[in-house]
Amino acid sequence: MSTILKIHQLSKSYRTIKAINKLDIAIQSGQSYGLLGPNGSGKTTTLSIITGILRQDSGSFLWFDKTPYAGQRKKIGSLIESPHFYPYLSLEKNLRIICRIKNSGCDDIERVLTETKLIHRKNSKFRTLSLGMKQRLGIAAALLGDPEVLVLDEPTNGLDPEGIAEVRETVMEQVKKGKTLILASHILSEVEKICDHVAILKNGELIAKGPVRELLTDEEVVEISCSDNERLFDILKKGEIVKEISRENSIMIATLHKGRTIGEINRHAFENDLVIEHLVSRRRSLESQFLELVK
Amino acid sequence: MKKLIQIELIKILNYIPFRILLGLYVLAIILGLVIYPLVDKQVPMISLTDLFRFPDVWPFLTWVTEPYNILLALIVIMITTNEFSNHTFKNQIIFGLSRKELISQKLLLILMLALLATLLLTATSVLLGISYSYKLTFRIALENSWMVASYFLSSLAYMSFGLLFALLIKNTALTILGFIGFRTFIEPVLFLVFREREIRWFFPMRANTRLTPLPNLIEIFQRKLDSDQPVDEASLEILPRGLPLWTNILLVAAYIATVVFLAYKIMDRKRLT
Repeated sequence: MSTILKIHQLSKSYRTIKAINKLDIAIQSGQSYGLLGPNGSGKTTTLSIITGILRQDSGSFLWFDKTPYAGQRKKIGSLIESPHFYPYLSLEKNLRIICRIKNSGCDDIERVLTETKLIHRKNSKFRTLSLGMKQRLGIAAALLGDPEVLVLDEPTNGLDPEGIAEVRETVMEQVKKGKTLILASHILSEVEKICDHVAILKNGELIAKGPVRELLTDEEVVEISCSDNERLFDILKKGEIVKEISRENSIMIATLHKGRTIGEINRHAFENDLVIEHLVSRRRSLESQFLELVK
Repeated sequence: MKKLIQIELIKILNYIPFRILLGLYVLAIILGLVIYPLVDKQVPMISLTDLFRFPDVWPFLTWVTEPYNILLALIVIMITTNEFSNHTFKNQIIFGLSRKELISQKLLLILMLALLATLLLTATSVLLGISYSYKLTFRIALENSWMVASYFLSSLAYMSFGLLFALLIKNTALTILGFIGFRTFIEPVLFLVFREREIRWFFPMRANTRLTPLPNLIEIFQRKLDSDQPVDEASLEILPRGLPLWTNILLVAAYIATVVFLAYKIMDRKRLT
């Protein structure tokens, strides 16, 4: 698997505000990589730098193992923040401009407009489109020339549920086709549904990264109840299996230490003459982990 | 280069204000052809048609049409500031243009418009010259025709300054206000303030207008009334005041080069978000 994007110690400040600080990320070919973080965490700044809109203060990044240059971006389809086009031009003419920039054939326009379900509005002026349509046109522009990589920044921003579903469907289709995706979002469920890897940012700092599945199962959370909940609570709290334990109505929620298994709880309870009545592994939601990380 | 021209043409040919301003420019020149002869009939003794004869048609038309270049500068201002307000400079960067190419695009537009304006002016001058001249030889027809090159340089300078203002101010209305304010108010006031000093001839807009100065009308009419006298070469001096002609041309060329250099530098450092 080749490295598509390698970000090394990337930093950017806006006067006194540090937008990103020594960011290190490597994205491999075929990955769908989510940049997750609350507003102001540095996602858009990161994408703006790697797409050439902004210049970093320090650090570097390589696209396709090469120092970045303008022509390289023709292999990358991007939508940063909201889509920007000439309001007085038709969809077809706006996309024609991008075809010329990318040196790609204009036959592609029909294809991307069909894929984004905008073909019926081909001759409409950009200013007459609804927000959802504008967003889809942004994705259509990103798809022009069949790029190897898609860089999308909050692609469902401001859309209604139907629009969100449509955009998400389009993006997922591209992921299925094997394109590398870099998706910035503050919507956890979006990243969870679309991405296989995630980097979590907070105040410009990278606070966690890895495969979504690994991040989710890094710490196992279990639901427990037994014949004597109070005693088990004390035993587990004193022991070395459980990192954290809390009560939630008639059950207890325990977070296991790294490397500990659910079976060890069962054995430990049995050794203390307690019969476990309920022992269920609860996958820790990305949301709770995300909120905890950015707290 | 071809790619950049094609991109720019898609943008401007569908932009209504561009069509209106360019239409006004063409109309202003064509209407001139109709209006000057009509005015001519109202002025006794002196005939304006004398100014339409070769070789006087060249300095006369370049002088008359020089202010029309403001319309061309407005086109460049509107097209450039629109790129900022629509965030389309940013879009073009994302899809693979370099910052240098963004400025080259605008410089090519300026070059195209300057060529168009100069061609239009040349065609008009030739048409008038042929229609009104008593005596037509190549030597007479081509005399002073270099003024067309001067006009071309003047067009380039107007539009380059327009581009610089647009890059610095970014807002359409404020840029137009700033440009016209500088051209018609700030610099003329400074010119008056420095009326005793030679530096006034180095002001950019002044140097630019001096490229196509008011022809020596007295000489032209005198020459007509006393046609037996040989034409005094000195009477054809087209720049009676200010800097010598070639110094003025070099000065404006230097201004254009500086503006182009600054445009590249500004774009290189501009935040396009």
